[in-house]
Amino acid sequence: MKFALPLTFAALLFAGCKPSAETPAGSSAGGKKITVCMLPKKKGVPYFTSCSQGAEEAAKQLGNVELIYDGPTDGAPEKAAAMIEKWALQGVDVIAVSPNDPDVLAPAMKKAREKGVHVVTWDADGAAGTREYFVNQATAQDIGYALVDTMAKDIGGEAEGEVAIITATLTAANQNEWMKFMKERLAKYPKLSLVGVQPCNEDQKVAFQVAQDLIKAHPNLRGMWAISSVAFPGAAEAVKQSGTAGKVFVTGLSTPNDMRSYVKDGTVKSVLLWNTKDLGYLTVYASNALANGGLKAGAASLSAGRLGEKKIAGDQVLLGDILVFTKDNIDQFDF
Amino acid sequence: MKTRLAKFPFWHEAVLALLLVALLITANTMEPRFMRLGTQIELSRHLWEIALLALPMMLIIITAGIDLSVGSNMAMCAVTLGLLYEAHVPMPLAIGAALLVGIIGGAINGAFIAFLRVHPLIVTLATLSAFRGVAEGVSLARPISGFPASFGLLAQGTFACLPIPAWMFIAAAIVCSVILAKTPFGRFLYAIGYNENACRFTGINVPRIKLLLYTLAGFMSALSAIIFVARRNTAKADVGTGIELDVIAAVVLGGVSIFGGRGNIVGMLLGVVLIHETREFVSWHWNNDELILVVLGVLLIASVLLNSLFSRRSRSD
Repeated sequence: MKFALPLTFAALLFAGCKPSAETPAGSSAGGKKITVCMLPKKKGVPYFTSCSQGAEEAAKQLGNVELIYDGPTDGAPEKAAAMIEKWALQGVDVIAVSPNDPDVLAPAMKKAREKGVHVVTWDADGAAGTREYFVNQATAQDIGYALVDTMAKDIGGEAEGEVAIITATLTAANQNEWMKFMKERLAKYPKLSLVGVQPCNEDQKVAFQVAQDLIKAHPNLRGMWAISSVAFPGAAEAVKQSGTAGKVFVTGLSTPNDMRSYVKDGTVKSVLLWNTKDLGYLTVYASNALANGGLKAGAASLSAGRLGEKKIAGDQVLLGDILVFTKDNIDQFDF
Repeated sequence: MKTRLAKFPFWHEAVLALLLVALLITANTMEPRFMRLGTQIELSRHLWEIALLALPMMLIIITAGIDLSVGSNMAMCAVTLGLLYEAHVPMPLAIGAALLVGIIGGAINGAFIAFLRVHPLIVTLATLSAFRGVAEGVSLARPISGFPASFGLLAQGTFACLPIPAWMFIAAAIVCSVILAKTPFGRFLYAIGYNENACRFTGINVPRIKLLLYTLAGFMSALSAIIFVARRNTAKADVGTGIELDVIAAVVLGGVSIFGGRGNIVGMLLGVVLIHETREFVSWHWNNDELILVVLGVLLIASVLLNSLFSRRSRSD
C-alpha cells in the first residue's frame, strides 16, 4: 500500500506526458468556429441569468460561436479566477468577464492574455491592462442624467422640492461616478435641492431605515434616488409603510422582478435599468468580432445583429439604451 | 480468505487509489488536454493552500479535535501582510509579521482547548467568526493590491518543474509523516484520539501536545495566506472564506476518522488529490459550478459509507 501514492503520481505523469495530436482550438482562419466563455459575477441570480439568455440567443444566431456560461454560484472571486485560468489552459478564444473583484481576477486575466486568449469585460470593468474591450451597458453620464431626468418627470410640474440619494457604500466606484453626473444634471432643475447622500452599506434593511429617517427628517422631501439594486426595494418599502406614496417619489436602478410589486401598487413610478438580455447579446457579438478580426483598434462602431450598429468609444462597446420600467411596460420584462 | 480480506488494514486507501486511477483514466480518454503535464501543474496551483492546511488538520482530527478557524486565521494573516506592505514595511518583515499573527491565532485556540479544556469545535467556531471580524475590522474590508512581482513569484513561480508552494508542501508532508509514523509524539496523537483520559493518567502531557498542534495549524494558515496573497496579488478580509470545509472534507475523505485515533498520511494525500482532480475535471469538462458541489458531496458520502462498512466488518471478526 505504501506504493499507492508513487504509483498514482506515476500514472499522472505517464498520462500527462502522452503526446497529444490535438491542435489549439480555433486555428483555422476567417469566420472560424470559436469558443466564448462568459463569466458572470455570480451564477444563478436573475440579473445574470437574463444576460446569459441574451448571450445564448446571439450564439445561436451567429452559428459559429460555442458559448460556455459558468461562474461561481457563491460569487467567490477566487473561484472566478480559477475558472479564467482553466479556460486559458483549454485555449478557448474569448473569455468575457464580469469581474466580481477586479484585483483578484487581474493576474488570471493578464495570464490569459499572455497565452493569446482574447479577454473582454462586460457589466463591470476590470483592472487596468486586463482586457481589450469593455462592453459597457451605459456610460456613467447616461445613467446619472437618466436618474435625474426620470425623477423630475415623476415629480412632475415644476419639479420642485427636496431630494436625497441613498447609495451603496460611500466608496462604491460605480455609484460615485453616477452621482458625479447626477449632481451635474441637477443644475438643470434649480428647484430641486439635494439635502443628503446616505449609504446603505448594500443592506436592504439599512436602506429601509435610512429612507424612513430621511422621510421624517425632511418634511418637504419629494424624491429619493436609491441607486443600487439592494437599496431600491428597501427605500420603496419605507415609502410604502410611511404612507407617503404619491408625495415622496423613489426611483433608482434595479431589476423589474425585484420592483414589480411596488410599481403595480403605485409606490414606485419608474425603475431604471438597461436591457440585460441585450447586454449578454452584445457581449457575444463583440467577442465574436474580436476573435474573427471584425473589431480592430480605432473602430467606431460594431454591427451587432438585431441591435444594429453599436457605438464604440475608445475601448468600450456601448449598449447605451437605458430602459425605464413603468406600470405600462414592466410585465414585458422577466428578469 | 474472507477473513484475511477483511483484516487487510488499508481498504480505504485502496478504494481511494482505485477511484483516483479510474478518474484519471476517464479524464485521459475524455479530455486528453486536461491530462497533459503542463495543464496538471498549472491546475495544481489551486491545490496547495488546501494541501498545506490538510497536514495540521489531519494531526488535529487524529486527536479527535477539529479546527474550523483556519480560513479566518488566513484572513488575519493576509490583512496583516497587506497593511504592513502598504505602510512600506519591507516585504520579508511583513511576511514574518503575518506568520507571527498566524501563530498567535493558533496559540489562542490551543490555549483555550488545552488549558481551559473547552471543546475544540466550540473554541474554533468562536474564533472562526472572531478572527474574520478582526480581519474585516482592521482592514475595513478594503482590498490591498499591487504587491511586487518578486513576491508574486512565491506562488506563481516554478522551481525544478513544480510550483514553489508544491515544494513547501512536500517538505512539510515529509516532516509530518516522519513525526506521525516514527516518533513517540506521533504515537501519542493516536493515543489521545483513542482515549484522552487514559493518556492523561499515563503521564502524557496532553495540554502541551494540543497547544502545539493548534499553533502549528495557525502557522500553516499563515503560510497558506501568504501563498494565496502572492497568487492573487490581493490581500483582503475575505481570503480563505470556507476553506476549512474543503480541508476537513479532504481529510475525512482520506480516511481520517472524525472521532479520532485513525488515519494516515497516504490516505489523507489520496483524499486531497482525489477531491482536487474531481473538482478540476468536472469543472473542465462540464463547466458547471453547481455540478461540482453535487459530485463532491456524493463522493464524500459514498466514501464515508464505504469506510464504515469496512471498519464494521473488520470489527466484527
